[in-house]
Amino acid sequence: MKKEELIEKAFEVRKNVLKMAQIDKKGFIAQGVGAADFLTVLYFYAMKYRPEDPKWEGRDRFLLSAGHNAIAVYAAMAEAGIIPKEELDTYGLDNSRLPMSSMPAYTPGIEISGGSIGLGLPIAVGMALGLKKKGSDARVYVMMGDGELAEGPVWEAAMSAGSYKLNNIIALVDVNGIQADGKTSTVLDTEPLTDKFKAFNFYVQRIDGNSISALMTAIDNAKASAEEKPSVILCDTVPGKGIPFLIGDPKSHFISLNDEGWVRAYQELERGEN
Amino acid sequence: MGKPGIQSVISDSNIENNHPTADAPFGRTLIELAKENDKIVGLSADLAKYTDIHVFRDAYPDRFYNVGMSEQLLMCAAGGLAKEGFIPFATTYASFIARRCYDFISQAICEHNSNVKIIGGLPGLQSGYGPSHQATDDLAILGAMPNLMIIDPCDAVEVAQATRAMAEYDGPVYMRLLRGNRVPMVLDRYDYKFELGKAKVLREGNDALMISTGLMTMRCLDAAEILEQDNIHVAVLHVPTIKPLDQETILNEVKKSGRLVITAENHTIVGGLGSLVASLLMDEKVSCDLKKIALPDQYLAAGTLEALQDTYGVSTKAIIRQVRDWVK
Ligand SMILES: Cc1ncc(C[n+]2csc(CCOP(=O)(O)OP(=O)(O)O)c2C)c(N)n1
Ligand SMILES: [Mg+2]
Repeated sequence: MKKEELIEKAFEVRKNVLKMAQIDKKGFIAQGVGAADFLTVLYFYAMKYRPEDPKWEGRDRFLLSAGHNAIAVYAAMAEAGIIPKEELDTYGLDNSRLPMSSMPAYTPGIEISGGSIGLGLPIAVGMALGLKKKGSDARVYVMMGDGELAEGPVWEAAMSAGSYKLNNIIALVDVNGIQADGKTSTVLDTEPLTDKFKAFNFYVQRIDGNSISALMTAIDNAKASAEEKPSVILCDTVPGKGIPFLIGDPKSHFISLNDEGWVRAYQELERGEN
Repeated sequence: MGKPGIQSVISDSNIENNHPTADAPFGRTLIELAKENDKIVGLSADLAKYTDIHVFRDAYPDRFYNVGMSEQLLMCAAGGLAKEGFIPFATTYASFIARRCYDFISQAICEHNSNVKIIGGLPGLQSGYGPSHQATDDLAILGAMPNLMIIDPCDAVEVAQATRAMAEYDGPVYMRLLRGNRVPMVLDRYDYKFELGKAKVLREGNDALMISTGLMTMRCLDAAEILEQDNIHVAVLHVPTIKPLDQETILNEVKKSGRLVITAENHTIVGGLGSLVASLLMDEKVSCDLKKIALPDQYLAAGTLEALQDTYGVSTKAIIRQVRDWVK
């Protein structure tokens, strides 16, 4: 897809996120709309997959490491045709294929369970080793949170990925500056991220994660890189992106809206201000 | 899109059976204790707000440490603080404590009998997010750890009393937390006082003896009241301390008459209260009819709590159903 189309798509993904939040008017809404741009670029620009055959052997693997952000991934997968759009209606309900926290037993196209955070990159190491052993040129994309980076297993995996030169891994960190107890800068400072990943022998790019063109370039660079290194794209994103009155909400981790708040959010999103 | 009026996973609240409620009984008690003892410190791993220790954090910001999302460090750092003479209360969700931190708790805390209090949110089936958040196995896993005292409180009253008791006890303790601004209050109506290591009869009855722990005691008491109307008289023996188990009281109650014995726990059927009671009775050559109410040995489903608790047989309604079947 071209840049203009991707921008349109990202808008649809955001709308899906908000619609999925309509039942409760609360949840991981801010992260969802914030991650919509890079997820759109992944599903409509970067990754190869067959929507009708999510287990196709040649697919690029996408691992959602922090499973609570399933809302955003389902929103993108519905646009990609992996799940029917009508099904988004069932998000979080009993007997739904779209549980709040992503699990492969429930949802086509979901590769790992992400509820216990910090396992994405460690599992990616094994998958990347396996793909290389099989002679596959498929890549493993991992989506992580910035709060998640405090987990020890992330860095055990980073050390291995660097040491084994797993250039078939492309990790994306959603640097949205928030986590459960508040701002990442006040809970536990994870910066400087670029230097940390460089020190672990990653090919590191830090970009505006809400800029479709920056994301496209970063993906191109990661794929074209001649360096025998795993890639990480540090995506600085704005939680609440596209819905101005949600931006900067101190309770961004788990937004609670009333009926009017939800309608206002939808209207602001549709107006397309930023 | 969206179906107004439908309950989803998020809308679950922990109000049950219309009991009165209390706000953050653990966090509020910790503040009181901290006033009396300046060695008390708090830690969490990016879940302060979700384990009620945020009220302590706000009252004593310089005695609280957020280590971010690093549960293994949480346990080691708590062990380190204990070595320096502090009394750390460390909180996160029960599933991460039991599964992710086992070695760290064993080596940094329990082997040295360190004075660390570990507080686990969402014990048993208390989350609709699926297995990652459903700590259905924490009693079995942590029960295998020498030196660790284990408490599964019933309600807000007991959470507060147990928090105080563990602060006064010198050694490692794990407590399953009931959290939030609407934690049910039940035990104040039963003239009850929590004591470490003690099981207590809350209600007498000649048809069946329920031996229960945690919030299952609340459900058993509620079930017993309703069963009374069917002329089924159920006694309830509450066992809040899972380790060390109050063997004497359990044996005395079981031996009292030929009552059907029913264990009830918010935990898998593997290795929890039911298993402990069964093995105790066998060891002591006490025979009786024994039934177990517990979660199945499965990865449980995601969904709304009310539906899940009913499906898996641990809701008040499900307890009533099962007891009726067994006693008739
Ligand atoms: C191992 C583990 N610890 C704690 C949690 C609880 N938890 C869920 S989301 C979250 C914060 C996530 O922050 P971040 O990684 O920055 O993701 P964001 O919500 O910002 O996208 C926490 C602590 C968890 N799910 N798993
Ligand atoms: Mg974040």
